[in-house]
Amino acid sequence: MWEALEQTGWVKTLGSTGWMYSTVSVTHYLTMFWFIGSVAVVDLRVMGLVARRRGVGELAEQLFPWAWIGFTFAVISGFLMFATDAGDWAPSKVFHVKLTLIVVSALFAFIVQRGSRKWALDPEIPRAAKIIALLSLLLWVATILSASEIPALEGLG
Amino acid sequence: MHDTLVAFAKWLEGTPWGLMTRESIWAYPFVQLIHFTGLSIWLGTNFALDLRLLGVGSRRATAAQLAQELFAWNWIGFAIVLTGGFMLFSGIATAFIGNIAFQWKLGMFVPLALTWHVVVQRKARVWGQTSDTPGIARFAALTEILLWICVITAAVDIPNH
Repeated sequence: MWEALEQTGWVKTLGSTGWMYSTVSVTHYLTMFWFIGSVAVVDLRVMGLVARRRGVGELAEQLFPWAWIGFTFAVISGFLMFATDAGDWAPSKVFHVKLTLIVVSALFAFIVQRGSRKWALDPEIPRAAKIIALLSLLLWVATILSASEIPALEGLG
Repeated sequence: MHDTLVAFAKWLEGTPWGLMTRESIWAYPFVQLIHFTGLSIWLGTNFALDLRLLGVGSRRATAAQLAQELFAWNWIGFAIVLTGGFMLFSGIATAFIGNIAFQWKLGMFVPLALTWHVVVQRKARVWGQTSDTPGIARFAALTEILLWICVITAAVDIPNH
């Protein structure tokens, strides 16, 4: 199935056309940094480490809509990069770890986004919220690490 | 000038951190992690300000307020980028200085984007006083985003040379 995807006409064109593949890579890096950076700023705000005078809810409202647009582009460009070499990527254990971490981290980002509206009403941010924000932050660090480990451990990418 | 640069690159490759980045298979991903984590914070905070200057998205904070509130973490992010980038560079410094894409990245786009960012960040205090930003602010913000895209494009192109 993955081999078939790799052999599809448009996927082969994408994989063998330098500027196309570069454009997809640039999109992936750009939107990934954009998304993770935006989430990280909100996480740090929940932890009380950035922009303390700005309400948590306001900062989340400022950053999250763009963050999710970035996330959508990162997922699409990531899938396209995967498709060009799908047969090799699909069985990679570290890649599975990376995908799992993305899902869990995105879920935490969503929880932080939803929670920030509620936490903004409290006089002080609850301790549980700070722990969730810290976990969200650490999960993204782990996600980036897993991505960097794929070429080191499995020679892909 | 070029000889000095080559000598410096050779010296860097022999430093403990240069050796570690190049030769230890477990160290390289961690060094890349430092660079990428910094880039996320740096670009995330840069674009948050640029988008506000462009006037798109939530308008509850002014650009002047955002510039001030994100200032510290913006530069913490940059310090992390620089640390990771310097270590990555030290690993194979001589190959990097001979790489045309790297030359464009570090010799042209990074200084340009960085200078532009400093100007935008300073000017945001004036341009961003009111909820609506002037045309020049929107132009400057869009240009900054495009300049960082140039930096990433050059970086992605490095392995092709």
